[in-house]
Parts: sequence; structure tokens; C-alpha cells
Amino acid sequence: MVDWTRRGLLTAGTAGLTASLVGLPCAASAQGTPQPKRGGTVTVALTQAPPSLDAQLTSAQVARDINLHMYETLYARDEHAGVVPDLAQGVDISKDGVTYVFALRAGVKFHNGKTMDSGDAVASLERYQKIGLAKVLLSGVDKIEASGPLEVTVRMKKVQSNFLDTLSSPGTPLAIYPAEETRKDPKDFKFIGTGPMKFVEYAPDSHATLERFADYTPNPNYTKRDGFAGRKEMFIERAVFRFMPESGARNAAMQTGEALINETTDGPTAKKLQGDSRFQVLKLLPFAIQIAKFNHAQAPCNDVNFRRAVAACLNMEETLAIAYPDIYKLDGGLLYGYSPYYTKAGTELYNINDPAKAKEWLANSSYKGETLTFITDNTRPDTDTATDIKEQLGQIGIKIDVKVSDWPTVSTLGFTPNGWHFWTHGLGIEPYEGPAKLMSIWSNGISQIKDDPVIDKLYADLLAELDMDKRKAIFAQFQTHMYENAVAVSLGNFGMFQVVSSRIKNFAPYRIPRLWGTWLDT
Amino acid sequence: MLRFIARRLLISLPVLGLVSLMSFAVIWLVPGDPAAMFLDPGATPQQLAQVRHRLGLDEPFYLQVIAWYERILHGDLGQSILLNRSVTAAIVERLPVTLSLTALALVFATLLGIAAGLLAAMRHRSWADQSTMVLALLGLSVPEFWLGLMLIFGFAVDLRWFPAGGYVPLAESFSGWWHSMAMPAFTLAAVQVGFIARMTRSAMLEVLHQDFIRTADSKGLPWSIVVTRHGLPNALVPILTVLGIVTGSLLGGAVVIEQVFSLPGVGRLVIGAVLSRDFPVIQGTLLFVAAIYLLVNLVVDILYAVADPRVRLE
Repeated sequence: MVDWTRRGLLTAGTAGLTASLVGLPCAASAQGTPQPKRGGTVTVALTQAPPSLDAQLTSAQVARDINLHMYETLYARDEHAGVVPDLAQGVDISKDGVTYVFALRAGVKFHNGKTMDSGDAVASLERYQKIGLAKVLLSGVDKIEASGPLEVTVRMKKVQSNFLDTLSSPGTPLAIYPAEETRKDPKDFKFIGTGPMKFVEYAPDSHATLERFADYTPNPNYTKRDGFAGRKEMFIERAVFRFMPESGARNAAMQTGEALINETTDGPTAKKLQGDSRFQVLKLLPFAIQIAKFNHAQAPCNDVNFRRAVAACLNMEETLAIAYPDIYKLDGGLLYGYSPYYTKAGTELYNINDPAKAKEWLANSSYKGETLTFITDNTRPDTDTATDIKEQLGQIGIKIDVKVSDWPTVSTLGFTPNGWHFWTHGLGIEPYEGPAKLMSIWSNGISQIKDDPVIDKLYADLLAELDMDKRKAIFAQFQTHMYENAVAVSLGNFGMFQVVSSRIKNFAPYRIPRLWGTWLDT
Repeated sequence: MLRFIARRLLISLPVLGLVSLMSFAVIWLVPGDPAAMFLDPGATPQQLAQVRHRLGLDEPFYLQVIAWYERILHGDLGQSILLNRSVTAAIVERLPVTLSLTALALVFATLLGIAAGLLAAMRHRSWADQSTMVLALLGLSVPEFWLGLMLIFGFAVDLRWFPAGGYVPLAESFSGWWHSMAMPAFTLAAVQVGFIARMTRSAMLEVLHQDFIRTADSKGLPWSIVVTRHGLPNALVPILTVLGIVTGSLLGGAVVIEQVFSLPGVGRLVIGAVLSRDFPVIQGTLLFVAAIYLLVNLVVDILYAVADPRVRLE
């Protein structure tokens, strides 16, 4: 990411050139590499159906898989989650850091043929402020106005250093829609964006079909595919996203050629397919960080000595090897290694696996041998994680009862102060989006169910700080605090295996099964 | 007959009312929140509260119950929380898949089950009888999802005779529809084949020992005519009872089969709704399935009279 305090810093050309230096797959040929071919249909096997195809209203991963082919944002994330312009040409930030003037790219077409202008961008941001799922992200915005046909001015109430981070978030994207669509009731909303693919049909529980948007003009400021931004050239004519919950059926569909991309498969299947020339078995690592949360509102998790005992006891490698065989990485950083904010601060306390030390902490804690509740959802890796932690903590005398429920049950219970002591799950998009997003889920006691004044202050400081080096230092302090106080336990990175037909060329695993820049070898 | 049908329909209303009340109560007793489906694990309670408000989930329980009954009395099953459409529309657009799957499975189960039962009864205590009954027992014992996956790997991956999953509407292509439905329907029917075969065998064995069968045989009728013209119609009443039960079981079994074969039917709708706590869809679908179940039983009752004129429905 970049220091945003200098005026006019972000010209798209500069960002594009920067992006092109990161060793990304190249659609155009080097000597001897095949040339892109246009045409063909690619079927992508997804694990479930999206809750919505209105990008502003959902943060579900499966919705992102489809929606980010249809919609674009003013700013987006590059391959390493850096903030770069997408529909915007660039931004001019005032010296006081509260006014952002966005220049929009000219000649960008919506799927309905209309040319995008500042009215569409303003209407889309205003819609997000009203009904966007993450509308809190825009709560610091004082005013949004069209200051020219292709210029949008956003005035903040006060300095908010993560404003461009949130504007470019793929989590619940601030997608730009035609102004007339933003005025409709969400039920009547038509799925129209500016992305390289346009909506064709949605068959409930079956599939969603998109096709190449013929009038799409790839961003001329970039030369290569780059994360969610960059040059998005579509060679594939049609994409069918099929919702196939049964993993065996997804694998079978790959083997018969009915599907050409399997979003995710298990380790044993990936191993089995590795030697098969019909497939490319790809590792998407890191995809998420496995964490175990403590409920600080409940004894003994409100006792730092108890939490330290747990953190000191655990052998992260054992847990990850069981939960994510062949697709994990021991890493104590709370952000992914490629983030410019990545730090090792505090990680000397990561994976120390010292039962003797753990017993010492435990003896000094308020734990009295009672049985504690570990909640987890019913996905295999999360259940395995909870079970292994239970076994490990049993070695130092901590008794745990693992309660497995489905995701809606666990995610409701896990935000309440009663009924649980530990909760494990993956954090995928938060570490990707950067320090502000990651810290936000620990601010105001959201994840630990009890306010932590140190975290709250650090988070406020981060939002008010425009200097990147200082922001890095704040994040390092946050990470150190997380480890020293065992606010939660980070077990390390895990990823997922993706299986792609060998007929698909230039595919690179990313946070969604990205189809732009790929082509079908017929 | 019409009075009988009208009376049965009237009796069905309290049953439906009870089913709807139970489905409403059970759902509210189960923890979980549909709003969570819109969110990532790192979502904040504020985001959760915002989605709950947008979906109307923060209304008091009694208000939601009253609204539910008001709606169903007007023939409206409500609005799905997650699907952005009415529950009725969600069911109707998936109904062809489930109905065609169930109907085809019923045809398979009936034809194969009755044929196997007849064979076993006619060759009583022979190797054919024994092997048919062993196969029937095997069919009853094999889990549907396992059989489905085995068939996918055998007939889709290895032989490439059928697709691994997905649905082609009948209106689009008969051949495509047949290819997409044959394997799931056979899987769904497998358990019921065994059930029907065993019931047909025992019903036939009872009938074949009756005096009128001996008479028909004695007067020189070919054995196949004795069995099909005289034996089978008289064994039909218990078989019809079984078919009524089987139809209900097939509707239930469709939930698993649709999941395994990625068929976008009502079963998938129910599973998705349960996992995401889409209450209106769960309630609406349960009510709908209960109504179908009652209808099937009514049809079976009517068919009793058709199969055996001695049965007086009035």
C-alpha cells in the first residue's frame, strides 16, 4: 500500500507500472508461449449458491466469486492487496487528508450500454451508505458530490487513513452501478455493472451464467492482470458457475469435463490428480489464517494468565497438519506475508509449544478444572482444529467440551457473551485487506466480547495516521499486544487446492476463480 | 365419491395447520441466524444487526407468527429472506425437478419392485426367490448418497453414459432430461424397489394360495394369466398402500439425491433453507410437502376403490 498524504500521488499509470513489476502471469506471449484464443465456455464448480448477486449486499465468498467478474469499484486491490485505481483514473487528496477528488476513467460502459459518469459513482456510493452491507465503512463520509462530469469529490468528517482501503475492499464491494438502478428497490435491481463479464441468467440452486461483455474496454493504464484490478481482458466467451455442494460430484464433473475449474478440493483428491495431465492442481496459499478466539467475558478466559497458558501449550504445526494436510504454512504474522504491513513483532510467542511453561501460567490463573466450551462450525478443518486443541490442552489439565453446530448457529452464539469459551474459524479477507480491517474486528471488543482499551486506542491512532511508516509501527504494536496478552491464538496460514483443466491457459489462483486473462485451448 | 374427497380435504386442513405451527415452533427453538449467511466470519455484530433489521428478523416472535398465519390464509407463503423472491415462486420454479425425479423414481421402483416381487412369489423357495430377496435387502440397506456417488463414478466418470450432475428441463430436451434424471431416479428408487418387492412377494404368496387361484389354474388357464389377471389385481390393495408410503419416502429421499447430483429441486431448497435459517422457506416448503403427502394419501384411498370394488369409500 501507499502513503496517501501526497497530493496527486496516484496516477493510474504509476500504479499500473508498479503492478506490472510483481511477476504476474502474462497473457501475451513470451517466446514460445501460446497466444490467447477467444471463445469457449468455462464451467466453474462452486461449493454453494450465492446469497445475492447484488455485490453491495453480501460479503459471502461465493458471491464474490461471481460478482467481481460483473462489477468494478473506483479503487481495487492488486495481486498483493495493494490499493490501486480501477474505475478511477486517480485521486487527489487534500493536504489536511479530508477531501478526496476522484477522476473517473472516461468511456467506461455499463452492461446496458450507458457510459459511466460521476452521477453513477455518486449514486452508487450513496446507495451503499443507505443499504450497503458494510455501510459503516462510509460512516466517516461527510459529503459525496459530483464535482464534474467525470469527477467525484468525497469529503470526510475527519481524517480516516483507511478510506481508500475500504473503497477498494473486495469484501462487500462498493460496486458502481448505473444511477437508475441504485434508485430501485433491491428486489427489482438488475445486475448491471461495468465488469468484463455481464449477467445472463441465474437458475436458483443450479447455476449463474455470465458472458463476455463485448464493449468492455480494459483499463489502458495497465498492461497485465493484477489482483482485482489491472488489465482485465476476457478471452472466454461464456462462464457458467455451477453450484455443486457435494465434493465428490465436483470432482466427478472435473473428470468428465463438465466442469473445467473446481474452486476447492480436499488434499487426498488433489494428490490423486497431481499426476494427471488433464489437470493443473494449484495451491492457493495463504488463503486464510486459522484463529482460536477466547471469550474474554467469561472466566477463565478473562484471565490473561489462562490465555497465555493456552497459547504457550499449543503445537500449531500438529493442528494445522491435521486440519489442512499439505496446505498450511506456519506463520505468526496476523497479515499475509506479502502485505507491506507484515511484521514479525510479537511472534516470538507464536508456536512455542512449551507445556511446562503453559502449566506455570495455568497454575497462576483462575482456572479451577471446570469444563470449558469450545464452539465450532461443522466444516471438517474447523472441527479438526477444535478437536486437536482439546487434546493438546487436555495434556496440561484443561478440560474442554467441543460443541459442533452449523455456521448460522455458531456465528450467532459467538457474538454473545454466554455459552462459549473458545471459538475457532478462518479469517480470510480481513488479513488480506490490511491492518485497519484486521484491527477493526478486535476493536470495541467485537471478537473477544470485552473492550480492550489498548486495541481501541491503537485502532483510533491508525485511522488518524496518514504516514505509512507510523501506521506500520502502530500495527506492529497491535500485533505485539495480541501476542503478549494472548487476545486470541493465531495458528498459522492455510490455503486451498484448486483444480483447473489443462485446457485452461494462464490461470493463476487468486481469491476468486478469476477468469479474465485466461483462455481455453480448443 | 365427491363427498368423500371433500370430507378428506376438510380433515386435511387441521393437519396442515398443525404442521405449520410445529414447523414455526421448531425453527424458532433452533439457534442460528439467516443474517449470518450474508456475512464473512469477521463480520461485526453491527453488520449482523443491520442485516437482521433489513430482513425483518428483529420483529418480536408473536408478530412474525401472526404475519405468517395472515399470509397463509391469503395463500401467500411469504418472502424468502435470502432468495429475493416469494416462497411460492421459489417452490414452483424448483417443483418440476423434484416432481420429475420423484415420478421417474416411482416408475422405476414400481416396475422393478413389482416385477421382482412377482418373480420371487412365482418361484417361491427357488434360487430366484432367494436371490431376489437378497438383492431387495441389499437395496434397502445401501445408503442413497453412497450409491449415488458410486453410480456417478461408474456411469459418469468411467463409462461417460450419463452426466455427473445437473438438470436439463424436459421442455428443453427429452434426451437431455432423461440423461440428467436417469441415474438420480434409479438411485432414489433403489431402496424402494426392495420395499415394494418384499411387499409384492408376500401379498402375492397370500393370494396365490387362495381357492379362486386354484380354480383358475384347474380350469387350464396359463399360469402367467392366472398370476397377472387373477392374482395381481387381488394383491394390489396392500401394494397400493405401500406405494403411498413409498411416494412420501421418495419425496424425502429427493433431499439427499438432489444434493449428490446437484439437482436444483425442492429438496435442495429445503437443505439450503435449513442451513441458512431461511425461516419462511422452511415453513412454506414443509407446508407444501405436507400438502403433497396428504394429497398422495387421498389418491391412494381413491385407488383402493378402483382396485377393489368391494371397498366403499362412502
